[in-house]
Amino acid sequence: MRETALKDVFSAFLATLLAVLVYSLAGGAGPALLVVLNAFSVVVLYFSVRRGEVFGAFLGTACGLVQDSFSLGVFGVGGLTKTLLGFWAGFISRRIDVAPLFRNGLFMLAMSVLEMVLWVLVTAVVRRESLNFHGGLILLQPLVTAVLGSSLFAVERRLRARGSRGA
Amino acid sequence: MPIWEKRRSALLLAGLAAFHILLISIQIPRGAEKSLFEKSIFFLFSPVQRAVTGAARGVGSLWTNYFDLRGVRGENQKLKKENFFLNQDVRFLEDRLQFFRSEAQVRERLAAFKETIIPARVIGADSANPYQTVIIDKGSLDGISKDMAVCDRLGNLVGRTIEPVSFKETMVQLITDKGSSVSVISAVSRLTGSLTGRSDDTCELRYVLASASGGQPGEELLTTGYDKICPAGLRVGGILTLEKDEFTPIFLKITVDPYFRLNTIDIVAVIAKTGGGE
Repeated sequence: MRETALKDVFSAFLATLLAVLVYSLAGGAGPALLVVLNAFSVVVLYFSVRRGEVFGAFLGTACGLVQDSFSLGVFGVGGLTKTLLGFWAGFISRRIDVAPLFRNGLFMLAMSVLEMVLWVLVTAVVRRESLNFHGGLILLQPLVTAVLGSSLFAVERRLRARGSRGA
Repeated sequence: MPIWEKRRSALLLAGLAAFHILLISIQIPRGAEKSLFEKSIFFLFSPVQRAVTGAARGVGSLWTNYFDLRGVRGENQKLKKENFFLNQDVRFLEDRLQFFRSEAQVRERLAAFKETIIPARVIGADSANPYQTVIIDKGSLDGISKDMAVCDRLGNLVGRTIEPVSFKETMVQLITDKGSSVSVISAVSRLTGSLTGRSDDTCELRYVLASASGGQPGEELLTTGYDKICPAGLRVGGILTLEKDEFTPIFLKITVDPYFRLNTIDIVAVIAKTGGGE
């Protein structure tokens, strides 16, 4: 049990580094990709569903603060929204079954939309200025996050099924 | 069972949320100044970003160099580097000619300018809004500090260095950021104003009086050097639209198309010492 937890902590750490890499490389591919792709949210959602609300909240804090440190925005806004995202994703996924692919995607979409709404609200309050929605492109972010997040679970399930068949 | 055992996760969430709210609230009165905590996180993670980007670039370039034309690529890189400096020289010369009549003065200025250029590579963009900041792979150990002008490979103004500046990485505030402000002048009509970003791919020229004559779409904007950050004469962008502002009729509403392109800036030049404004 303790070994699995440590393994997940290590995996979450690696996933956070991967998110840093993804966002660094996405910057070179164009600003539009950075707007629609939030790799940190995918990491938080994936591990929150796997490990529950406490793990999700801590990972959300870490990922959010890392994301904030690479942005000119107010430090802590991303941390706050991702902490809440991690907590709620972990909390709800312990109470309803989100394993089936379609339900999993829908759940991730709902969580990502919630995160975006929170982010917009907190940013509007903190910065007291109108937000740039990049011509509506930013609204695709929850959808992309949901598709990537549920794809991760689908791939994991497939790999596990192949592994058990092999054994 | 004690209450903290039963409500452990809720208490934890409350604690973390309180921590973030405290973190946010201590920054509000200080505006854009970075907190020590934020600087620490940047110091901690920017080398990671640099390492992973470097590793990815290394693997990518190994692949390309091995399977592609190795010699030609190396030569191309060298030529690109040379071209970068040559372009800087040409732009500088063109711009300076508008300000100085004496050839001797131009040469003197050019020599001073060349000495203080620090080429850097862009290793990351802003995680919340790509039009706000980029991160470059040069830092305080390379002689970079806060408030230095940054240009693209053609000599067009990209932005200025801001805190945090770590040993080998620096954050650059782009001219397209809402909080950015650069003193500029139009090349033909000599309209002077403050260029500020809109957090998208255009900028806005503010504080140009509606009574000012001249100015038309396509006219080039150059830095004035009054802000003591950007040297005078750097190319910034072209006027896109020019109309009377309905909300503040005293000023003109001018939108500007910046020359630098966010998706093509890979190498930039940090101007370490500007030599002051005109």
